[in-house]
Amino acid sequence: MTNTQRTLGAAAVIPIVAVALVVIFPNQQAFLAQIAITALLVLSLDLVVGFAGLATLGHAAMYGAGAYAAALYSLHVWAEPLTGLVVGILAGGLVALVSALMLMRAHGLTFLMMTVAITQIIYEIVNKSRAVTGGDDGLYGIMMQPLFGRFEFDFYGRLAFWYAAVVLWLVFLLLRHIAASPFGLTARAVRDDGGRVSSLGGGIFAHRVALYTLSGGIAGLAGALSAQTVQVVGLNTLSVTYSAEILVMLVMGGTGRLWGALLGALVFMMIHHYAAEVDPVRWMLFIGAMLVMIVLFLPKGLFGGLEAAVNRLREGART
Amino acid sequence: MKLTKLLLAAAVAAISTAPLMAETVKVGVIGPFSGPFSGSFGEPFRQGVETYVAMNGQPTEDIEVEFIYRDLQAPDPGRARALAQELVARDGVQYLAGFVFTPNAIAAAGISAQAKIPTVIFNASASAVVSQSPYYVRTSNTLPQVSVPTAQNALEKGYRTVVTAVSDYGPGVDAETSFVKAFEAGGGEVLETIRMPLSTTDFGPYLQSIQLQEPDALFVFLPYGPPTYSFVNAYRNNGLDDAGIAFVGTSETQEVDLQSLGEAAIGLETGYFYSAAHESPENEAFKEKLAELFPDAEPNPATVSAFDGTHALYEMIRATEGQPDPDAAIAAISGASWESPRGPITIDAETRDIIQNVYIRVVEQEENGRLVNREIKTYEAQPDYGVQD
Repeated sequence: MTNTQRTLGAAAVIPIVAVALVVIFPNQQAFLAQIAITALLVLSLDLVVGFAGLATLGHAAMYGAGAYAAALYSLHVWAEPLTGLVVGILAGGLVALVSALMLMRAHGLTFLMMTVAITQIIYEIVNKSRAVTGGDDGLYGIMMQPLFGRFEFDFYGRLAFWYAAVVLWLVFLLLRHIAASPFGLTARAVRDDGGRVSSLGGGIFAHRVALYTLSGGIAGLAGALSAQTVQVVGLNTLSVTYSAEILVMLVMGGTGRLWGALLGALVFMMIHHYAAEVDPVRWMLFIGAMLVMIVLFLPKGLFGGLEAAVNRLREGART
Repeated sequence: MKLTKLLLAAAVAAISTAPLMAETVKVGVIGPFSGPFSGSFGEPFRQGVETYVAMNGQPTEDIEVEFIYRDLQAPDPGRARALAQELVARDGVQYLAGFVFTPNAIAAAGISAQAKIPTVIFNASASAVVSQSPYYVRTSNTLPQVSVPTAQNALEKGYRTVVTAVSDYGPGVDAETSFVKAFEAGGGEVLETIRMPLSTTDFGPYLQSIQLQEPDALFVFLPYGPPTYSFVNAYRNNGLDDAGIAFVGTSETQEVDLQSLGEAAIGLETGYFYSAAHESPENEAFKEKLAELFPDAEPNPATVSAFDGTHALYEMIRATEGQPDPDAAIAAISGASWESPRGPITIDAETRDIIQNVYIRVVEQEENGRLVNREIKTYEAQPDYGVQD
């Protein structure tokens, strides 16, 4: 395969999977939209965890910031969706930039603790600002204008799904491009051996801040998509619990790989959804058992496992 | 060829027997059936629904109701909306029910309003919830509904000064706001309003500072479970009862927690909408059936809300003969009154919210050692006093 073929093939995966999902689950598009939005968020988390090698439990801070900003923008300024997405990106990016200036001076467990602390501070501010954010009753009453002035958001979630899927697709292509760019390669070098990069004259701090801000912008974009398609924003978007949940999805799919993030979000949400449907009372046991199995048998996550299996098959065919 | 004929025959047989079979009306129930809130809400919801069905059978001879339970552990609007959408579009439910948390109920309102799905709210208690969809009906309560009569009772008992201490979240703030408004309107004085973080377990410092202000009474709102236990114990241990600072509460002594509160609870006075000790044949019948089906279950406000919610569903299903006719269904339940295990209730014809008695109760110990909320006073037919927006 040439490089061009490879790129085109990779670019086609998300549209093909999206169409397949709609064909298989025609009446669950609100759920599918949730998957697409979560996949986008996990993708952004992968930039921090996988590409920068920083474990965080505070990614929801940027997601929630984007969600609340986009919701407030649509309620008080303009209910046009696309500019709302830009507002979400800016809000998520801004929170990431400001917190990164503090965070990137810390390492390891200190870093992890600070991500939790920052998320909780933002959570409390939003919780206390009841007049603006609705506190824990949530922020509601969001009515979006039609997309491009033409397409109405329907309750079946058809538009919501395609809207989220297209955004996910574009961001994925962008990130693939960035991952292969000098910036992306430097990010990995910083992760693997920061000391060496700085001895070569690379700015580790600036680089990490830039990567964290980019990731925050994408998380904010996911938040904005959620606010616009769900029409209610709750405090759960800002919780440490949710940060941990998306981290679990990423680890499950495989960190450091964009495909792993997508696969993790898709598989986790599908299993979660159907396990809860089959047994609404005891499904958590099943999820727990499954995670333990994955950690034990697929240390590189689902995507890593998949890749290893494919490679083994290929080698088998060759010999 | 033979196979095709056989299949055809089977198909014809299936079609011809169809009219004889009962028509199935599906109801989707969304609530926390697993996780930390299942004990106080999910299980009582299920018990309430199943007790009602066991007592009343099917709505009519040829309509069968099927309840589809979906788990939603915590506030998560996105998931609430997705579950509601899927229940409507894929599972073909005619009605929705359940909902513990306000953001979830509001997120599903979009689906209810656009797809015209009559929905019975079993809990979500912010005033604004019911107005979010023209097809929403509520059979639980709102905080202003129980706090206002509680404030009136405090005034009637001669309390002139009060300190309020509530958990700092939506329902706590609602309770505080409406209590303060009613208490001040009646000439009382509120010395201080305290909002305590939800995660607080050590209430000593709060109670000591309250004690120093020497109010006549202390108005409290706490969520269910452990915080309530430690608050009540701290109230006793810090000697506020001996100092003559009366305890004024609402849901703190509800049945799901009452036995665990133990002796510290004896004598506490609260205003709420359901006591398991309510004396009526309806309540006796309800408790008997509940105990028969679920020997370990406590008759709880959440159980009764779901029980009455199921009654509302049955009324709507009967009025429309099982056919999807949302406007007729809502018209049938708006203004309806019936005798619930909690006492007489009405669904307001205008707001579709519940109108019910609020009882002032005092905790007593029965001879067998069990604690009960003994009703001592009734404020009849209380509406939601909250601001509708």
